Amino acid sequence: MGDANTETSLQAGLKKSTLHLFLATGAWVGSTALMSFGPNAFWDFDTTLTFLAIAVNLITGGFMLFSFFRHLNNMDELQRQTHLEAMALTLGITMVLTVIYGALPQAKVLVGAQPANVLFVIGISYILSVITLWLRRTSA
Amino acid sequence: MKNRLKVLRADRDWTQADLADRLRVTRQTINAIEKGKYDPSLPLAFKIAALFGLPIEEIFSADTD
Repeated sequence: MGDANTETSLQAGLKKSTLHLFLATGAWVGSTALMSFGPNAFWDFDTTLTFLAIAVNLITGGFMLFSFFRHLNNMDELQRQTHLEAMALTLGITMVLTVIYGALPQAKVLVGAQPANVLFVIGISYILSVITLWLRRTSA
Repeated sequence: MKNRLKVLRADRDWTQADLADRLRVTRQTINAIEKGKYDPSLPLAFKIAALFGLPIEEIFSADTD
């Protein structure tokens, strides 16, 4: 009985922190969209409102960071190590690819490089790293 | 690092899930430790030792032994 409760508390903690992370990430994505498109679409480039949108984006970004940190602490140690190693891999992959991506326009190989594309590299690298590392340790 | 976790668990007729419950980790973590794919942290190793009532060195040993 007590044992079942223990596992439930581990899973319940993870579920709760996952929900918080989901909500915080949603708020950050929403405020990022507002910050990006609001000046043109809603307030005709009013500087005060733009700075307000930036402040909201910074605050929601802080919440997202805090939620992720708490989520990481709610994981069990194998899950946590997997995510930390995935972050290390992601950092390395992103650094190498970003340097190449940044050099391509200077070499006139690529036109219209967008810094935002780095986010895709980060996301894809992180997801693939987590899946690969987790399967390596847990597969039969 | 080698360990006797699987033997000790089987002696008590516990499943991996039972042991995971008692240690507050996931079943996958127990599986990875038993298969030698993951070395537990020192706090978890102490927790395992306390649960089985054995010194750590009777459960875990270096590969070079």
